[in-house]
Amino acid sequence: MREPMRLRDEGATALERALLDAGTAYRGSPTARAKTLGALGLAGSATLAGAAAARTSLSLGKLSIGKLSLGKIFAGAAIVGAVATVPAGYRALHRQDVAMHAARGVPAPALSPVAQGGGPAVAVAVAPVVPVPDDPSAHAARRARVEPAVPLARELASIDGARAALARGDTSDAIARLDGYARAYPRGRLDQEAEVLRIDALSQSGRAEAARAHAREFLRRHPNSVLAAHVRTRLGD
Amino acid sequence: MTSAALIETGALEAPARELAPAPARAREGRLRELVDNYLDFVARVLRNSGTPESEIDDEVQRTFIVAARRLDDIRPGAEKSFLFRVAFNQAAHARRTAARRREVAAAEAPEQIDHLGTPEALTDQKRMRELLDRVLDQLDESLRAVFVLHEFEEMTAAEIAEAVGIPRGTVASRLRRARTEFRARVAALGAGGTGEDDR
Repeated sequence: MREPMRLRDEGATALERALLDAGTAYRGSPTARAKTLGALGLAGSATLAGAAAARTSLSLGKLSIGKLSLGKIFAGAAIVGAVATVPAGYRALHRQDVAMHAARGVPAPALSPVAQGGGPAVAVAVAPVVPVPDDPSAHAARRARVEPAVPLARELASIDGARAALARGDTSDAIARLDGYARAYPRGRLDQEAEVLRIDALSQSGRAEAARAHAREFLRRHPNSVLAAHVRTRLGD
Repeated sequence: MTSAALIETGALEAPARELAPAPARAREGRLRELVDNYLDFVARVLRNSGTPESEIDDEVQRTFIVAARRLDDIRPGAEKSFLFRVAFNQAAHARRTAARRREVAAAEAPEQIDHLGTPEALTDQKRMRELLDRVLDQLDESLRAVFVLHEFEEMTAAEIAEAVGIPRGTVASRLRRARTEFRARVAALGAGGTGEDDR
């Protein structure tokens, strides 16, 4: 089959070409990169240096970093008010990793100081570092600042629970968890994924007609979903 | 020593590296590679799929968090397809949220678009970006997906078929329709209309 030609290669107008160029030229920002690496617990040298370059060139002065505990550094950074935050998603992600490693009897990978504090991903690069005593009110303020309204990781954890139940063949538990997800997140970001899991769970539990009904409804509501192909295969089962 | 220089020494991360077991290091390596190789791709897909500029950084972050959670499920070589699917879904959600906000906002008079053919207008990136958003927003979601991957990401029909989960023949037919619609919308812009009323 011949490869389709691209519009810009077959007589695009000047305006079309300019619009296509605008779409092609888009790049992720250094801040997006810094925040992403920070959220994944990969906030290494390049990340933080990049964030520093992107945001400010403030110097840490003559601070002797070796004398300060990282926890206090980040607590201090949080208190002085920094800019980017690590989403609760990563902290939830890491908590799961810790539990997993504990179950295996191996130490969990060390949590990056950023995520550990739940504080700002690039704070160390932009804020004066001031050691502070552990202050409960400071912790509360920090928690309030970094908790998004509905962290995606919580939704993911909820969906993961249903997926795991389905994987071990416990379709009743999977469906109960999906019901719980629907109640907790009526406008969830993963609602389509949840619905597809429900279709799979119903199908696996032998409730073929109910599965097909849900599949038809899914395709009616989301005919162009990237999950539609999977659902169509269920309808064909 | 500046902050960047301090950080460049790697001192801040040394404890994490020492404690991390080998599988965790391999996982971190793969995650970092994903970010290094595909951050621009993810940002562009999000933007060209309708995510407002102000939300791109957060959505990029969310897309990679999802990837981190699913890392073991991502077949080597299928990273781009996986990230596209997540980013496109995220963009759809962001679009719906933005649409709800627009419904609440008072109706605005359509912008008058003049002199689009002038060199000044064509090199005004901000303006071109706004117009591109307007044109893409009018494409059906299924057409937009293949158009974005083909025209902006220069992916092959086979790659698009895998990413979107449709047969290759369907990719070709959707591309033809997407291109026809795109050109019609752009022509409407050039004719002085907003392209919003003639759908």
